[in-house]
Amino acid sequence: MNLSVVSAITRKDLVDAIRHRYLLTALVTPLFVALLFRVLLPDVNNNKILTIVVHDAGGSGLVAELRKTPQIGVIEASSADATASEVKNRNAIGGLVVPAGFDADLAASKQPELTVYVNNQKTVFEQAAFRRLLDQMVRSFAKQPEPARLVWVDVDKGADDQKRGGTSLDQILLPLLLILTFGMTGAFVVPLLIVEEKEKRTLDFLLSSPASLSEIIAGKALTGVAYTLLIAGLLLGINRQFIKNWSLTSLTILLGLLFVVGVGLVIGSLLKNTMQVNTWASLVLILLLAPSFPSIGITAWFDKAMRFIPTYFLSEALKLSMAGTVSSQLWMYLAVLLGCTFIVFFAAAWALHRRG
Amino acid sequence: MRAIEVENLSRTFNSLRAVDNISFSADAGEIFGFLGHNGAGKTTTIRMLSGQLLPSSGSGRVAGCDIVTEQRRLKPLIGVVSEHQNLYERMSGRENLEFAVRLYGQDMQRVDTVLEQVDLLDRAKDKVQNYSNGMKQRLLIARAILHGPQIVFLDEPTRGLDPIVGREIRRLIVDMSNQGVTIFLTTHYMEEADQLCNRVAFLSEGRIVALDTPSNLKTAHGQQHVNVTLDNGECLSIALDGEDGGRELQQLISNGDVRTLHSAEATLEEVFIQLAGRRLSE
Repeated sequence: MNLSVVSAITRKDLVDAIRHRYLLTALVTPLFVALLFRVLLPDVNNNKILTIVVHDAGGSGLVAELRKTPQIGVIEASSADATASEVKNRNAIGGLVVPAGFDADLAASKQPELTVYVNNQKTVFEQAAFRRLLDQMVRSFAKQPEPARLVWVDVDKGADDQKRGGTSLDQILLPLLLILTFGMTGAFVVPLLIVEEKEKRTLDFLLSSPASLSEIIAGKALTGVAYTLLIAGLLLGINRQFIKNWSLTSLTILLGLLFVVGVGLVIGSLLKNTMQVNTWASLVLILLLAPSFPSIGITAWFDKAMRFIPTYFLSEALKLSMAGTVSSQLWMYLAVLLGCTFIVFFAAAWALHRRG
Repeated sequence: MRAIEVENLSRTFNSLRAVDNISFSADAGEIFGFLGHNGAGKTTTIRMLSGQLLPSSGSGRVAGCDIVTEQRRLKPLIGVVSEHQNLYERMSGRENLEFAVRLYGQDMQRVDTVLEQVDLLDRAKDKVQNYSNGMKQRLLIARAILHGPQIVFLDEPTRGLDPIVGREIRRLIVDMSNQGVTIFLTTHYMEEADQLCNRVAFLSEGRIVALDTPSNLKTAHGQQHVNVTLDNGECLSIALDGEDGGRELQQLISNGDVRTLHSAEATLEEVFIQLAGRRLSE
């Protein structure tokens, strides 16, 4: 493979892509969505101090961690029962009841229960930021995928609908944005780069030049990789405070990136024109994104169905790696993703061979 | 030295035999015309000879390279002007050529040289999408000759161009030939082929039905005739191939009925119709 030919094609595509209306839209959409969230959820990423009422019966290390966190101000509650009322009286964002032996249960992987009160008088944005921050801290403290059973209790709500599953925003939002970036690469960017060369007959020029088909495809793939890394890098940079393990997160992103570039090569090889890409790419994008959407309110069979889509493993691996949770589950997700990446690259090679 | 040598070359698409067992050769520096109606197999032949498409059977050597096994060596030695204006429209003329320079590993200075050669230097920074058809065609030629190829394949280079631009393109073709470049030209325009080509091959349904110099083809297959205008204003075209025509002309002259007399030879198009069974434009 002639690397100067590959780099010439990549260089051309990097410049040409941002002049292409569809490609530019596909590239900036994840950033636009990220900015939209920041505008709509102004409290998500700011450094506002969150006051939390804590009852810590056993002197947990988790509470010590909370005290060390600059974004959190801790107020002691006299008892577990008083925590909810203290949250209201002190106008805190929420409260936390840590049972005695919490740390020991965690160490024994017993998944102890942690009751978290959320002050509903605060804005939804503040509540979301609190939920996210706390969930992140628990995961980070325990270094386990699902360390504790968080019981979220809304202060000021009727007793019947108080208990519900917790959803932290960063668990959903950042992986979703990253997968949106990957999805755009796999469904739009790489296929469009290939298909446009066919449609405009410039592929004939490339094939009559010293570039071989594999060098042309490598150039396209590299363009997809470069732009995706740029967008993903910007997203991670904006949300850097939520990345607990950069090397694992980078590894996960790299695997995810290879997977979607492979998907893009398959689509680009099979389709003939931009219209076909626009038609099919939307479906592919929805399929790739679906597993990263929150499962709340959606039936169990849907959750099970999502496990057949490779981006489910990418989404889960991203959540774990970003939280710094090194577990066998994470390695399993990454292994499945790697297997899927091999499969799509074989499929791409087959599709390209068929075309050749 | 033979620039192009083709032997029993065929290409089949599913059940369609697009190119059927053709053999020919072209000498270095020659302008070789490849004429045929739409779907005759001209573009498929160019695609095979330029390494874009593998033949189904037969063999070919271009610039001394085997078209199947030596494509890597072959491609820097050839230039191709496609029948489609396959330029990067969002890029400027200069950017298109700079990209080609990088692909061919050439010196960037070549860009200005060829832009000047095709008279596009002053519009080099404009986006190709704002170019006229003629300018795009000149840029395509610039891209094809950028790396100094030995052989240039030109697929319908003057199609759809106005006569003045067509003449400019023909001038560029002659310039290339004068510099020793072998030209493999396909065209719909018989006059163009007659004017430019050293030799032409007529292609019909994938097969070569005739191959010779335009002059020999016209002599061998065309009808010699004279156009006569009589004193009464009547115009006659008299074929001279048989005895009857000669006798008729002699009679008219001796009667003193002839006002004007012009000899006329067959056109290449007439020869093509005779050999291929239909007009080139059909």
